[in-house]
Amino acid sequence: MFIEFKDVSFKYYGNEQNILNQLSFSVEKGSMLAILGHNGSGKSTIAKLIMGLLEPTSGEIFIEGEKLNEKIVDTLRQKMGIIFQNPDNQFVGVTVKDDIAFGLENHQIPRDEMIRKIDEFAKLVDMQDFLNENPENLSGGQKQRVAIAGALAMDTDLIIFDESTSMLDPKGTKEINQMIQTLRKNYQKTIITITHNLEEALNADRVIVLNDGQIVLDGTPKEVLKEEAILEASGLKLIDGISLINMIQNYTIRIKNKEEIIQALWELTFKM
Amino acid sequence: MNDKIVFGQYIYRNSAIHKLDPRVKLCVLFMMMIGVFLIPADNFILLGIAFLIPLTAVILSKISLFKYLKSLKQIAFIMVFSFAFQLFMPVGKNTTILTTLPICFSYVNIIVCIFILVIYFLIRRYLPFKFLFFLVCLIGIIYLLRYPILGKAFYTTKLDISEAGLIHGSFLVLRVFVIILASTSLTLTTKPTDLTNAIEWLLMPLEKIKIKTSIFAMMISIALRFIPTLFNETNKILKAQASRGVDFNEGKFKDQVKQIVSLLVPMFVISIKRAEDLADAMEARGYIPGAKRTKLVQMKFCIGDFIVFFVILALLVGLILGRCGLYAL
Repeated sequence: MFIEFKDVSFKYYGNEQNILNQLSFSVEKGSMLAILGHNGSGKSTIAKLIMGLLEPTSGEIFIEGEKLNEKIVDTLRQKMGIIFQNPDNQFVGVTVKDDIAFGLENHQIPRDEMIRKIDEFAKLVDMQDFLNENPENLSGGQKQRVAIAGALAMDTDLIIFDESTSMLDPKGTKEINQMIQTLRKNYQKTIITITHNLEEALNADRVIVLNDGQIVLDGTPKEVLKEEAILEASGLKLIDGISLINMIQNYTIRIKNKEEIIQALWELTFKM
Repeated sequence: MNDKIVFGQYIYRNSAIHKLDPRVKLCVLFMMMIGVFLIPADNFILLGIAFLIPLTAVILSKISLFKYLKSLKQIAFIMVFSFAFQLFMPVGKNTTILTTLPICFSYVNIIVCIFILVIYFLIRRYLPFKFLFFLVCLIGIIYLLRYPILGKAFYTTKLDISEAGLIHGSFLVLRVFVIILASTSLTLTTKPTDLTNAIEWLLMPLEKIKIKTSIFAMMISIALRFIPTLFNETNKILKAQASRGVDFNEGKFKDQVKQIVSLLVPMFVISIKRAEDLADAMEARGYIPGAKRTKLVQMKFCIGDFIVFFVILALLVGLILGRCGLYAL
């Protein structure tokens, strides 16, 4: 087990209610886990707990068998990287090169190796032509790719994507999702994606659905997709295809061409 | 978001001054500052030599002189003011009085002066040559005050212009001119990030007395990184508030202050949220304040850097020794 949560509860200082309630789950090395949930379901809190940015109110977190605590958090962090939601707020360097180097400088990697790694991973995320560019001249997707390069350069075993695509346009989202697949297949990284988009969770080995700080669903994407009622109760939007099938299930139409599909869809939407 | 905001005055050219090590440039600027104010107040030859240093930088930098003059324009008012102040300052008895300006106040004179001032402040924002206009107005007022045009003067006095005052005044202006020219050639030819690195390097001795200069340097570099971002943010909020009917330009002073609040509150909220996210991102990537880090940017002195540094240092040491009385300057 790479990560293990044991009865983890968490509440923010001054709050009455727990954000996370007695959460237990584990992530295998080399697998991909998707954590689904609506806004405020506590899914981003899980990411911060894993990274040691927050401390659980009760319960224990183990990373590769070692208990996460203040003493070893700095060492354990070297195994983990995280890509946050806002592309702007996690861009530390003044240029692309500086930003990829930031983590390497922190871990005291020698300069020659640093330059080699920057070149290697900038090429991997297809940003090699922008090395001296300032963040203001980059798109959101490009900034997120730089963040991925930064995490990869640190040679982490685990990469967490904390709603990394929610502020990007469709093109940027596609790029990042393709990148996640590459990381999984070619680099054997353990990946956790945190999202409220069911479609993004379909590539995962395992899906966890959170609601009110508790796990309401846990299984393969196929198993999870069947539980439509629970998914909807957890405030998640069903995949377009599935909701379309649901809509036309009791509505018999003979579709001849595209215009008729549009006509039927239009009528259905207004009936609902 | 796509507006390209360039922070600082840096202009890229392929010149010797641009390639000069930023640490050397910064040191030279400091030495210039000390040196220029150590030059005795009537020694125009030494000041001329000091002036040659930024002049060489200006010529070698391949940046048009116009850019330099632009930054001088900003302090032209202060320069004229301090010159006038020095000029009319009563100095010791043993200097020759060049001319005496009789000044007399009559009601008509004062009214005309006020009228000129009002006109000046009203139309100056529409004029292309503000500074020239300012000088014309100033001379006009001085000339006007010499003669009682109409009405009887109720108060007359004299202003002496002495030779020493003239020399002191022009010397002060020239000193400031040299310093401004030197610092402008630094900011025009050096990237803000290079300057930060230079400052961090120069402050390194402070690490010995347990002052964490690396934290200080990180703060400056993050500020440099986020100034354009926050600038964009401010523009967005300004537009958002303007579309809700906030007018930042018109209205009474009290209203304007109130309207600024509608800009500041969202700015602060957003900045704090950003700072929180940034702190998380930095911590997650292993940043520990004050801990040892390796550096990607490596600055290396070359022979040219040493030559420039030691030439300027020699000039400064020579000046200091001269001031100490070892030989006549």
